[in-house]
Order: sequence, then C-alpha cells, then structure tokens
Amino acid sequence: MSTDIQTLKSLDLFADLNFGELEQITPLMHLMKVTEGEVLTRKGEPARTFFIILSGNFMLSFKEERSFTLHNKGNIIGLSTVVTPFRYTGTAVALTDGLVLLMQGQEFLRLIQSNSVLGDKIMRKINKIVSERMPYMTGGWGKRRH
Amino acid sequence: MENLLIEFLSNTGFALADYRNIIMILVGIIILYLGVAKEYEPLLLVPIGFGILIGNIPVIKDFGLGIYESGSFLNYVYYGVTHDIYPPLIFLGIGALTDFSTMLARPVLMLLGAAAQIGIFTTFLGALAIGFPPNEAASIGIIGGADGPTAIFLTAMLAPRLIGPIAVAAYSYMALVPVIQPPIMRLLTTRKERLIKMEEPREVSKKEKIIFPIVGFLLCCFLAPAALPLLGMLFFGNLLKECVVVERLARTARTSLIDIVTILLGVTVGASTQADVFLTRQSIGIFALGAFSFAIATASGVIFAKIMNLFLRKKINPLVGAAGVSAVPNSARVVQMVGQAEDPTNFLLMHAMAPNISGVIGSAIAAAILWSFMSL
Amino acid sequence: MFGFEAIIAHDGLGISVIGISIVFVSLILLSFAVSRIHKLIGLWDKRSKYYNRSKKPQQKDQKTPSVLVPTLPQDVQRVSRQFKLLIEWMGEPFPLPKLLDLSGKCGLSHPHSTINEFIKCELIIPAENGYYILNKQVEEKILLLEEKRSSA
Repeated sequence: MSTDIQTLKSLDLFADLNFGELEQITPLMHLMKVTEGEVLTRKGEPARTFFIILSGNFMLSFKEERSFTLHNKGNIIGLSTVVTPFRYTGTAVALTDGLVLLMQGQEFLRLIQSNSVLGDKIMRKINKIVSERMPYMTGGWGKRRH
Repeated sequence: MENLLIEFLSNTGFALADYRNIIMILVGIIILYLGVAKEYEPLLLVPIGFGILIGNIPVIKDFGLGIYESGSFLNYVYYGVTHDIYPPLIFLGIGALTDFSTMLARPVLMLLGAAAQIGIFTTFLGALAIGFPPNEAASIGIIGGADGPTAIFLTAMLAPRLIGPIAVAAYSYMALVPVIQPPIMRLLTTRKERLIKMEEPREVSKKEKIIFPIVGFLLCCFLAPAALPLLGMLFFGNLLKECVVVERLARTARTSLIDIVTILLGVTVGASTQADVFLTRQSIGIFALGAFSFAIATASGVIFAKIMNLFLRKKINPLVGAAGVSAVPNSARVVQMVGQAEDPTNFLLMHAMAPNISGVIGSAIAAAILWSFMSL
Repeated sequence: MFGFEAIIAHDGLGISVIGISIVFVSLILLSFAVSRIHKLIGLWDKRSKYYNRSKKPQQKDQKTPSVLVPTLPQDVQRVSRQFKLLIEWMGEPFPLPKLLDLSGKCGLSHPHSTINEFIKCELIIPAENGYYILNKQVEEKILLLEEKRSSA
C-alpha cells in the first residue's frame, strides 16, 4: 500500500521537509495493517524495516523486560534500522489493531545517502528519539510515556 | 529465379514507399526524439512514436499486415481502441494511482477544473466554423481536455477515422505542456499574483478518501451517465487504492495493468496514423485547433482563478488555474515551475494537483455531454 | 457551410452553453458534496459523545454516581480483578511484557488490548525504571464502580 504526501507531512519526523523532499520519500513508504498481538520487531534480529505509527497502540520491550508504550501518530518503531547496531534492540508488539507506515532500511539509507540535506534533517530527529529511548536500552530510566 | 528476385524487390518497403511514408516516418522519429531525448511524456510518446514507424512501413495490401486489415495482429490490438476498451482501463489505473486529498482538502479548487473545459467547447465552435461536421468538431474540441484516453474515447465513438490524428495531437500537446502553458500563464498574471502563497491544505482523513470515490461516482454518473465507463473506472480505481483492503488489486491496476494498456494503446494509436489517413488537410486543421484548444483551456483556468479571487477570502494563486487542463501531473508541475521561478519558496504543486485532478473529471464529463448531444 | 452560419446550423452555441453549464454544475455539486463529507464524518465519529450527552439526564433520574473511569469499557473493568491478581503475584514494579505473557498463558481474552486500556485509563502507570505499577487511586474507583453495579 502506498501513502501520500499529506500523511507524511503530518508526521513529526517529516514535518520539516519541503514538498520536493516529501515527494522523494512517498514512494518508499508503504502502509501496513497490524492486528492485536502482532510482533513488528524482535530483539536481536537484523533491523531491516522501520515503522511509523499512524494509528493503534504498541509496546516496546527491551532487555530486563523494561518497556514503554507508544500511542501517538508519528511515533517510531525500529530505529535500529538506520542507526547502529543495525539489529533491533527491542521487541515491538501491537497492543491493538492499527495502521503503520513502513520503510525498508536499505531504501531509507540509500535515500539518506543520495540526498545529504534530507538525510541530515531526518537523522537529527531520529537521534533525538534514540537519546530519549537510550535509558530503556541501557538500563537507566527515562520518560514515562511517549 | 530472376523474376522471383524482381518480385521480391518490388514488394519491399523501399519499392512500395512514397514520400508520404517518409514524412510519417520522420514524424515518428520526431515524436521518439521528444520522448527519449527531451523526456516529454516518454511513457506515451515512445510507444506512439514507434507505432507511427510500424504503421508507416509500406506493406502489400491484403497481406493481413496493416492495422486496418481485419485479421491482422495490429487490427486485433486496435480493437481495444476502436471499441473503447483501453481508455476506461487507463482510467482505472489513474484512479488507483491518484491521490485526491488535495482536492478534498480545498474543494473550491475543483471549479478551476471546470473552467478549463471552456477550451473544449470554444474549440468545438471553432471546428464547426471552419467546416468540420459536428461529430468531428466535438472530437477535436476534446483535445483541449488534455486527456489522451478521454480524447480517444470520444473520437472512437464519434469520428473513428480521426482517432490517429486526434490522439497524436492530444498526446503531443500533453507532452508539450511545459512549452505551451508558461507563456500564457505569465501573460495573464501579474508578478504580484504569481507570488501569492496559498495556505497549507488541511489534513484529509482516510474515511473521507474512501467515501469520496463512491460519492463522486454516484453524483457524476447520475448527472452525466455517458461518463460511466471513464468515471466508473476512475473512481473504482481510486476506491481500490484508498480502501486499503485490496492493495493487490490496486497495485496491479496502477502498475501492470496501466502499463500493458498504455503499450497497446500507444503502439496501435501510432500505427493508425498511416500516411493516407494522417497527411491530410484535416489533420493540419486538427493540430491547429488542438493548440488553440489547449491555449484557451489554460487561459480559462487562469482567468477563472482571478475571478474567484474577487470573492474568496483565502486568495488562490491564479497560476494553479492552468492545471485545470488535466495532463496529470504535467500541468501541475508546470504551475510549480512557473511559481518557483518567481519565488523559490513558493510550493504550488500540491495546490495545483486539485484542479489538475478535477480537470480529469471535468473533461470526462464534457466528453460524455458531447457524446450524448451528438447521439441525439 | 462555414463560420457563424455553420455554428448556428448545428446548434453549436446551444451545445456549448449547455455543455459547459453541465460541467460546472457537476463539479460545483461534487465540490459541495466533498466539502460536507468531512463534516459528516466528524459528526459520525462524535456520535457516542452526543449519545452520552443525551443519556445524561436519564442517569440523573436514576441517581447513579458519576463515572470516575469513563474510558474503561465494562468488560475490561470486569477482567481488571484477574489482572490485579497477576500483578500481585509478580510484585510491583512489574515488567509489562511479563504481564502480557502471563495473561496470555492464563487464557485471558485480548490481553494486548486490555492492557492497552489499562494504560490509557492509567490503571497501570509506568514507574521510573521502565517497569510499571498499579495506580491505587484508579483501582479504588474501579472497585467502587463495580460494587455499585453489583448492588444495583
């Protein structure tokens, strides 16, 4: 399922992008329906896809069973697809039925590599989210709910 | 043996060709050049250009090779053109490909798609005035709709013998949108108007996108039932895309199906432009009127946008009116290009997509109306 | 026949005027319909709100207490007791994945969406270390509500 520019523009990750940049990303993003209990990522597996939530509720669990839940449109799952170690650091489970946008990591990296300005804009946001989630991955503590 | 050789040589293209074949082959090469080197609508111009080459190889009559000879391969494939099978299938693909959200976000822009259809009816009058019979005048007028499938659809119904010249004119002008439209747009707008920035369209919900093709189909086809084959397929394709649950069908419609039909349509339309059908005074008239139709359609859209601005609180950039002439998404890109030439920070593309898509609906309705009137 | 004479003879003006008028009428109607769709959807989406509003006076007549946990569906309220037992067995703070795992093993229906409801109504809230705890205040409200219902 393909998506449209307007949907992407409404997402925090892509909010700063101009129309031309969004046009480049649109064909790479695909819509996917998820059902309650569906596992989107498994901890330790190679990270090949990252997901942006359009609707639904999700739980991300990390080592020592630390976890947090995601409930908002624009929340991201599978950040390891574009940052080291390129293996999922957590397991993502759908708590309810929902809709996500997914992008293959290879395509995303190719896009970032071919357009450095666009890559910079997106990576800045991703790095911010990674730093917020770091305590869950490392065992410290962080924000209560995202 | 000598006789055999002479007979063979007399049946080769070299022996059968006359100057008209050469002219048409040159036309085919020019169209291929535009498609390949200039990248003007290559998906259409490359099949049409090569089709012209195929159609203008001189062959022995009654040998079952020509497109107009029943039983030939080309004739079978051409059946889809003459019996209006390909245009609705292309509309199915367009529907499955097109995002209507910008139009849904600001429906008032749909009026620009209607205004641009003035070009169709003005050209219809022009064609009547220079002596074309009404059915042919209607087929020529539809070139201004800047929609190849619609032009072929109507011409196959009203004036089948003109399919070749009208289809080539329609697709050529669609390809030449970046050349034809900008001067007209600049001529009819002031710099101040070209600098108008339009506000971001509101977000359109998934439910709206799903409901729209159903409402749109029912409304349009109740008003203009003759538009059923085109708009039925267009809205059905869009429903496939938006309803999410039949993604496989939507993907097939917007990729494989539309590609296959485009190849068959392009090649056969090209091949139908055989010298004796194409190189006539009528064709010159068709091309001249086609250009006129395009210019009027562009101007009507721009002028109507300026008129709307007199009444609208949230002003629209009159350049987007030029996108009312279908030619999706080429004319929308031209609007973006002209707008950005004035102000690089002004993004008009998504605003222009609204009249652009409504232009497709408008030209299909216009074709249906003309068909209905001519059949009365 | 040429020129204006040809146009008149074939009723060209009539066809053109009526034709362009129909195109405009069609797109104006479509535009109007499209501009209403999102408003109708908005009303449809808020129907439960309107429904609840219309129900309010009736509730006053029956003198039922105001609902303290408005977003928790009744069936979820009922299973909250079973989840509470599981949480007590695990001890607090507890890991959310473990609660999910146990509730699944115990055969509770729709454990994922039920836990989601608990989180959304803040019956289960995150502790500061990636684990979760029961929110006693909300728990008491749910118990109160259940007692009232059973006595009624």
